[in-house]
Amino acid sequence: MFGVGFGTVLAATAIGALNFNNNLALLLAFILISISLMTMFLAYRNQAGLSVLKIAAEPVFAGENALFQVLIRNTESRNRYAICSRWNTATEAHEGGVGDCRDFLPEETLKLNLKCETWKRGRLKMQAFAIENRFPFGLFKAWSILVPEAECLVYPEPAHNPPPLPRTGRGDHGKAQKGDGEHFHGLREYQPGDSLRRIAWRTSARHQKLFTREMEAPREEACEFNWYLTPARDVEEKLSIMTAWILRAEHHQIPYSLEMPTEALPADLGEEHRAACLKILALHEG
Amino acid sequence: MKAKRKIPVDTRSMIWVMATLAIALSVQLWRMPVWLIAATLAPFVWRLWSEKKGLKPLPTVMRVTALGVALLLLVMSYGNVFGRTAAVSLLAVMLSLKLLESYYVRDARVVVSFSMFLCATQFLFAQGLLMPIYGALVVATALIALAQLHRREAFVDSSKIPSLGRSAISELGFSFRILLLALPAALALFVLFPRWTSPLWGVPESSLDARSGLSDSMSPGSIQQLFMDDTAAFRVDFEGPVPSQQELYWRGPVLWEFDGREWESNFWSRNIEARKRPQDSDADYRYTIQLEPNERKWLFALDYPTQVPPDSTLTMDFQILRKKSVTQLFRYDMASDSDFADSPQLSQVLRQTALQLPEGFNPRSRELVSQWRQEIPDDRELAERVLRYFNEEEFHYMLDPPLLGRNTVDDFLFNTRSGYCEHYSSTFTVLMRMANIPARVVTGYQGGWFNEFGDYMLVRQSDAHAWSEIWLEGSGWTRIDPTGAVSPLRVQSGSLEAVSEPRHMLDFEWLRQVRNGIDVLQRSWNDWVIDFSAAEQAKIFEPLGISEMDPKRLVTVLLVVLGILAALLMPFILKIQGPMRRTPLQATWLRFLKRLQQAGVSSRPSKGAWTVALEAGEVLPADAPEIERITTLYNQYRYSPTPPGLKDFKQAVKGFRPGTKKEH
Repeated sequence: MFGVGFGTVLAATAIGALNFNNNLALLLAFILISISLMTMFLAYRNQAGLSVLKIAAEPVFAGENALFQVLIRNTESRNRYAICSRWNTATEAHEGGVGDCRDFLPEETLKLNLKCETWKRGRLKMQAFAIENRFPFGLFKAWSILVPEAECLVYPEPAHNPPPLPRTGRGDHGKAQKGDGEHFHGLREYQPGDSLRRIAWRTSARHQKLFTREMEAPREEACEFNWYLTPARDVEEKLSIMTAWILRAEHHQIPYSLEMPTEALPADLGEEHRAACLKILALHEG
Repeated sequence: MKAKRKIPVDTRSMIWVMATLAIALSVQLWRMPVWLIAATLAPFVWRLWSEKKGLKPLPTVMRVTALGVALLLLVMSYGNVFGRTAAVSLLAVMLSLKLLESYYVRDARVVVSFSMFLCATQFLFAQGLLMPIYGALVVATALIALAQLHRREAFVDSSKIPSLGRSAISELGFSFRILLLALPAALALFVLFPRWTSPLWGVPESSLDARSGLSDSMSPGSIQQLFMDDTAAFRVDFEGPVPSQQELYWRGPVLWEFDGREWESNFWSRNIEARKRPQDSDADYRYTIQLEPNERKWLFALDYPTQVPPDSTLTMDFQILRKKSVTQLFRYDMASDSDFADSPQLSQVLRQTALQLPEGFNPRSRELVSQWRQEIPDDRELAERVLRYFNEEEFHYMLDPPLLGRNTVDDFLFNTRSGYCEHYSSTFTVLMRMANIPARVVTGYQGGWFNEFGDYMLVRQSDAHAWSEIWLEGSGWTRIDPTGAVSPLRVQSGSLEAVSEPRHMLDFEWLRQVRNGIDVLQRSWNDWVIDFSAAEQAKIFEPLGISEMDPKRLVTVLLVVLGILAALLMPFILKIQGPMRRTPLQATWLRFLKRLQQAGVSSRPSKGAWTVALEAGEVLPADAPEIERITTLYNQYRYSPTPPGLKDFKQAVKGFRPGTKKEH
C-alpha cells in the first residue's frame, strides 16, 4: 500500500513541476521515479535463485499451532535481505499473516516458519504460501507462491480430565522395557517428562544439552489402552482420553499397549512408541 | 478482512525520519518568521524526548490544540495562507506537527514522502546551484529512512531487527549509489519526457511575496538598498559587438510623477503603446537576455529596443512590459538601435506631464534655476550648466547619505550635497522641470561585468541605477546621467568602483572576482537545466533533421533510450546488493569451518552447529574437546542478547589447528 501512496505523491510532484515548468522539481520527481523502478527490479532479484529445500512439520496436538518449517537455501554468493514467508490466503486458520523473515548470507540455508492453527486431528495439508520481499524501500513486493505437498500430523486433543490409567496388564511377560531400571541401556536426548534422576549430568554439562540415561528393567506392570474398554460418549472423546492416557503413561514411565479395532501395538515405552500410538489415534477412521 | 496491523516504529528509523524532515525543512526555515520557526521545531524536540523516555503519543486534544496554535501563528505571520511562502510554510508546519502522531511505520512513511514533496516546493523559490545539493541530501536521507522502515516492517515479528552491520556513513553511501544509478534514467526522462507548452493552471499569484529589484516608484534610498544585493538581475549574451561600459544603460521603469519626495510611473505611459519604434534592421546590438525571476513585469533592454518579446508590450516611453510577472527564469532575444530619436515631437499633454511639479516645494532651487534661465536661454546649455554645478561644487557620491527634509531638492542642493544616483537624477529632473524643460527619471541598470570565460555579461542588482531624460527640440528625449557628472567612475567602471568604502564586512575585491567567476557555473546551470522547456526540447532533434517531435514520438525515443540505459547500467545495479558485512561472529565461525574442511571434515554451512561438531569429533577424535569448546562458545554468543566481545571465541578459532595432534 505504501507503494501506491508514494506513487501518488510522486505523480503530484511531477505534474506540478510540469505545469510550472519547474525543472529542478521535475528532475527530483524523475529521480525518485527511476529509483522506484529500480527497486522493483532489486526486489525481484533479491528473491530470484532462492530454493526451497524441504518443508518439515513436527506433529502437534489439535488446538495447538502447527509449525511448518520451510528450509530455504540461498544458492548464490550474494545477500538476500528480509525474505519473508506468508500464507497465501489470510483465512482464519492462518491468522497473523506474516510468517517469518530472515536475511540470508551467501549460500546460507535458513528456516522460515509458518504457523497455522489446528482444531481437528488427522493430516493437516499445508496451504499455499508465499515467499516475498519488499527490498529495499518497501515500495514494490516481489513474491512467489508455492503450493506445497507437505502436511502436519495432528494428534487428537488430549482430554482434560481423563479417567485414571487402566493399570490392568502385566508387563513381566514382555521383553525388558526401556525406562526405569537398574541396567544402563544408552543415552538419548532429554524429553520433557523424563525423570530428573535419570539425566546424565556429566555428559549434559559437556555438551550444553540435556541427555537422559535410558535404563532397562523387566517391568512389573503395564497399561492396556483398549479401544473397546475406554469409557466415552463418542469416538472423538474416546480418542482424546486415550491420547491423554498415553501422555500420562509416558510421564510416569509405565509401559503401555494399544489396542484398536484395526491395529494393535504391544506394550512399550519411549518416543517412538508414543509417536506410533498417537499416529494410530490421529488417523483413526470411524 | 481485518484491518491491517499497526506496526510501531523503532527509534533508529524514527531518527532517520526526523533527519529527513529536518533537512527538507532547513531551506524553508530561513523564509519563516522566528515564531513560526519555533513552532516548527518544537514537535521535533517533543518527539525526540518522547522517543527517549518511551512516552505515549499526546492525547488528541493536545495535538489539535498544537495545530490550532500553529495555524494561528501562521495566519498572524502572513495574513493568509494563499501566498506561495505562506502555503509552503503551512505544509512545513503541518508536516512537523505530523511528527507528534508518528508512532507507526505508516505515519513515518507519510512524513518521509511529504518531506520530498516539501523539497520539491522549495524549488519554486530558488533553483540556484546549491539547490540540487540540498535535494540530493533530502533524497539520500529519505532513502535511508525508507530502508529502515522497510526492515522494521519486515521484521515486525522478530524480537529485534537484524543488523546489516552498516554505519550511518555506509548507509549514506548506499543511498548515494542508488541516487547515482538512478540519475541517467532520470536525465533521459528529463530531456525526453513530453513537456507542456503552456501550463494547465496558473502559477500561484505571487504578488503576496515581494522580491528585490526595481519597482515602479523611487524614493531616496530605494536604489541604494539594491546596491547591497549581489544577486544576478540578468545575464546577456551579445551576438557580435559588445557595447562599451558607458553605453550600457539597461532601461527599466520610467518615472514621470513627482510628489516632492517620491517618483512614480504614469498610468498612461504604462498603458499606451509606442507609436513609432526603431527598425529592426537599424539595430546596432543584438543580444539575448536571461532574466532572473523577479516577480515584476519589466523586461530590460538597451536603448532603444527594436523588438518586443512575445506576450509583452512596448510602451510609449520605451519600457517593455510583460503581461505576466517574471516568476521563472525568462529568456528573450533583443536588439537595440542606439541612434533612434525618441519623440522628436512632443504632444502638449505629455509636455504638461513632463513638467508637472508639486506646488510650494523647494523655493531656493526655484530661485537658482530662474537665475540660470535668465542667463542661458538654450535648453541644452542649461542642462550642461546644472551638470557643471554638480561637478564643480562639493557634491559627493556616497552610500548612507544624510536624510533629507521636506524640501528634498533644496536640502540636497544646499545642505547635504551627498547622495546616491537616485538623489542626483531626482534633483536634476526637478531642476529641469523648474526651468520648463520636459524631463523624466529613468531607472534600470547601468554597466555589467563581462565574464571572459563564459563570454557573457552579468548584471547584478547592485548595478541598479537611475538617470534622467530631458526633451530637447530636434533630438527628442535625451539621456543625461547627472551621477556621471559627480562620479565619472560610476558610469565608466561600475557601481562598486564608485564607492570607496566596502559595503559590508565580507566585501573584498578578490571575493567579488571569485563570485563573478563562479557565476559561469550558475549560468550553465541556468542554460542547461533551469531554462529547459518544450522549445528547447524541440531543438534537440533539429540537428537530426526532425523539426516536429510529437509526444508519441518522444515517448518512443524515451523508451528506447531507457532500455539502452537499463542494459548498460545493469551490471552496476546488480552490484548494489553488495556484500552484507558478516558479523564478526559469523566470520569467525566460517573460518573455523574452513579449518575443519582443510583437515578433511566435509561440512556444509547448512548444517547445524552441533551436527558439524559431532561429525567433526568422529573424524578428528583428538580435537574433539576443542571442537566442542569452540562450538559451545559459538552457540553462547549466537544467542546472547547483547552484542558480545568475542575475544575468547576468536582466540580459540585462531589457535585451532585440527589434525595436528596425534591420536592416542
